[in-house]
Amino acid sequence: MVFNSLHFLAFFPIVYAIYRVLPHRAQNVFLVGASYYFYAAWDWRFLGLLIGSTIVDYSMARYIARTEEPRRRRMALIVSLVYNLGVLGFFKYFNFFEGSLAHVFGWFGWHVDVITLHVILPMGISFYTFMTISYVIDVYRREIEPTTNFLDFALFVCYFPHLVAGPVLRANLLLPQIKNPRVITREQIVEGLWLIGWGYFQKMYVADNLSRLIEPVFDPALSPTGIEVLVGVWAFAFQGYGDFAGYSNIARGVSKLMGIELNVNFLFPYLVVSPRDFWRHWHISLSTWLRDYLYFPLGGSRHGELKTERNLMMTMTLGGLWHGAGWPYILWGAYQGFTLVANRWVDMVAKRFRWSVPAGLNWQRILLGLFMFQVTCVGMLIFRAVSVPDAGRLAKIIFTDFRFASKTVESLIIPVALIVVPFLVVHVYQAWKGTELAPLGLPRPARYALFGAVFYLILLFGDFQGAQFIYFQF
Amino acid sequence: MISWPSRLLLAAAILAGQFGLIEAGLRLEGGSEATPAFQALFLQDPQTGYRLKPGAHTRYTTVEFSTEIAINAQGVRDDRDIGPKAPNERRIVILGDSLTMALQVSVDRTFSALLEQRLNAADPSHQWRVINAGVQGYGAVQEALFYRHVAAAFQPDLVLVASSVVNAPLEAGKQSWLDADGQPAADAGDRASTLARRIVRSSMVLQLVNLRYTEFKAHFQAPVKELPLATYLSDPPPVVDSGLSVAHNAMAAIASKAAADGAKFAILLMPTRFQTDDADFGRLAKTVREAGGTLERNAGTERFRRAYASLGVPMFDVLPALEAQPHREDLFFQQNVHFTERGHAVAADAIFGFLKTSGLMAEVAAGRPASPLADRHTNAR
Repeated sequence: MVFNSLHFLAFFPIVYAIYRVLPHRAQNVFLVGASYYFYAAWDWRFLGLLIGSTIVDYSMARYIARTEEPRRRRMALIVSLVYNLGVLGFFKYFNFFEGSLAHVFGWFGWHVDVITLHVILPMGISFYTFMTISYVIDVYRREIEPTTNFLDFALFVCYFPHLVAGPVLRANLLLPQIKNPRVITREQIVEGLWLIGWGYFQKMYVADNLSRLIEPVFDPALSPTGIEVLVGVWAFAFQGYGDFAGYSNIARGVSKLMGIELNVNFLFPYLVVSPRDFWRHWHISLSTWLRDYLYFPLGGSRHGELKTERNLMMTMTLGGLWHGAGWPYILWGAYQGFTLVANRWVDMVAKRFRWSVPAGLNWQRILLGLFMFQVTCVGMLIFRAVSVPDAGRLAKIIFTDFRFASKTVESLIIPVALIVVPFLVVHVYQAWKGTELAPLGLPRPARYALFGAVFYLILLFGDFQGAQFIYFQF
Repeated sequence: MISWPSRLLLAAAILAGQFGLIEAGLRLEGGSEATPAFQALFLQDPQTGYRLKPGAHTRYTTVEFSTEIAINAQGVRDDRDIGPKAPNERRIVILGDSLTMALQVSVDRTFSALLEQRLNAADPSHQWRVINAGVQGYGAVQEALFYRHVAAAFQPDLVLVASSVVNAPLEAGKQSWLDADGQPAADAGDRASTLARRIVRSSMVLQLVNLRYTEFKAHFQAPVKELPLATYLSDPPPVVDSGLSVAHNAMAAIASKAAADGAKFAILLMPTRFQTDDADFGRLAKTVREAGGTLERNAGTERFRRAYASLGVPMFDVLPALEAQPHREDLFFQQNVHFTERGHAVAADAIFGFLKTSGLMAEVAAGRPASPLADRHTNAR
């Protein structure tokens, strides 16, 4: 089930109505059942994996907590990691590695009979696997106490707002809210409703409409012009953001209605001036996970410049692989690693020559922001292309076939602008105020006008075909 | 602190103002069949449901084309009026839907106009006039009613029906129209619904809201929500057979009226875009597969051919001529399912070839009475 489906439109009001009348413990039992239904609505066969992860990690975490002997604690951690990464590796990467292996053997003229399994990627597996891994590691590091209530842990893993596309939540944020009775305030309801509305706007008006417009640009069978590729990549940047930030906002909004606070996953990432800042504002729950459970264990920045750069490259390349089993994702991850490394070089040069960008709104910051957006878009081109050679083909077109046609203005540039500009007006205001909840502080007439505009734009021009979220199967 | 009634009033005023702004913006932008200027091309008609409004005129612009549309005094898309027939004039009336009306190209680029040019070039001894009597949204029943009540008066020597082979299910409920010789009289409920339709049609915003409502309803209908696609399913719903049966009856009515008026009659089977466009077919086949069905590329053509076969009238399938073309993706527009200028030219050549080789052209030129024999005229596959 996805948030932009009729199924969810019927599911949530029923769940919410029942949830509101139940006492705390019954709420938790009910939410576990509702979340399993939410997941099973996609494919009930994979419910076993979800429950399997829950049982294994609950048991391992409890075992680790009550065992003092370091070797046994480590063994339990390894069992949990092998189970989680094994499941993730098989379901997410089997087809990719099998195909790539056969391809590599093919270069040497060797034919290998690979096992042909059409492995289906279970929805949300990357998200809940990362959550349970971080939980067990946190218990192992003695940073948190494991929960002794299996039901609470089950709800932590399967809580439906975050289940299929994140955010990747930490136990210390969600578990206490599950354990303790929740009080739903009027502010939470108002904020939740706004986040849901804004999330649907980002998904149905911005992301899905842009997706339809730019599909021909990225179709390998067609030959777009350079300007079409450029506008297509810019538009994809907003599509990707609208899609994923939209999902996160709906998840946060739905949670707020139930009195549960999820963490902010996106914080105006296209208005930053450096790759380092970008990763502090884009998919924050994943980037902090990668930092805490991959980059720091690799040594972080503690062992000299060269090793820091190696660690950044490794972390981001693996982060790319997390996004999908395909070479464009790996290249995208490596590119992100390179931008972070380059960021360090620029910082060193800037420090030496005492360059700095003044704080606040100024032309240096705007220019740097625009440049940073182009840096991000290079990554977006790699991410969206159907293959690495196709990314190369599209990049080449930008520099070799920059024809301008009035048809491009009518069929691409104007429609993209009609979608992106209304979004940006609100987005920039939110960024200025530092929160997506900023419109709730507007004077009443302006606030109502904004709500009305969002309502009309979704109803009249939104995409109601129930297009999947990009991160749905990550 | 503002009271609740004041808040509601403020919200209502803001929503109404935004409604007006969006309505104005949409009207200014145009480019859609929902624009009141486009809708003004049509008028309600008790006999055919609706028809083209005589003397109406507009410009229809989308990202793919911009076309001047003029409706003549007789209510068909033509820049010339239709007066009494000259002694050496030979008239062909082509009944059909939007594919025939062809709002996407200028009037002299439609297959009707191109066919007229080819006939006049091939037979200068007669003055050939091909009347484009296509009306957007018509199916076989409305074509029959339009012929009976309007186009028969054009004194055609040959009546061609360009029958789009996608529309079978849409005809299913219209046998009563044929029986009543027009749209059945409206009861109070129908009158209310007509009034609601008129209100909706007067506003572009309301038309979009209506579209949303229709999409919403479609979620609770058959797995393949687009009814025309049902004609192409390997296992079509019963509505397809009922529609084909009604379409058959409508064609029989046209054939009978044409014969009574001394005109010849033939059917042209007009394919839809995905029958010639591989990428389009791939996309639709996938959509249908995901909805649990199987799309058969030429099933619509075959079903209509079978449905009309028992009429024993000449029948010509335009599809093979289109299939024989290189770059078939250019035959139809990409953002709608209608012929491009190239598609019209190919169709005109094919229909001209059919009229010539079947002997229909010679028969019409000679002014011989209508013959019901059809077998030798059909391009059976």
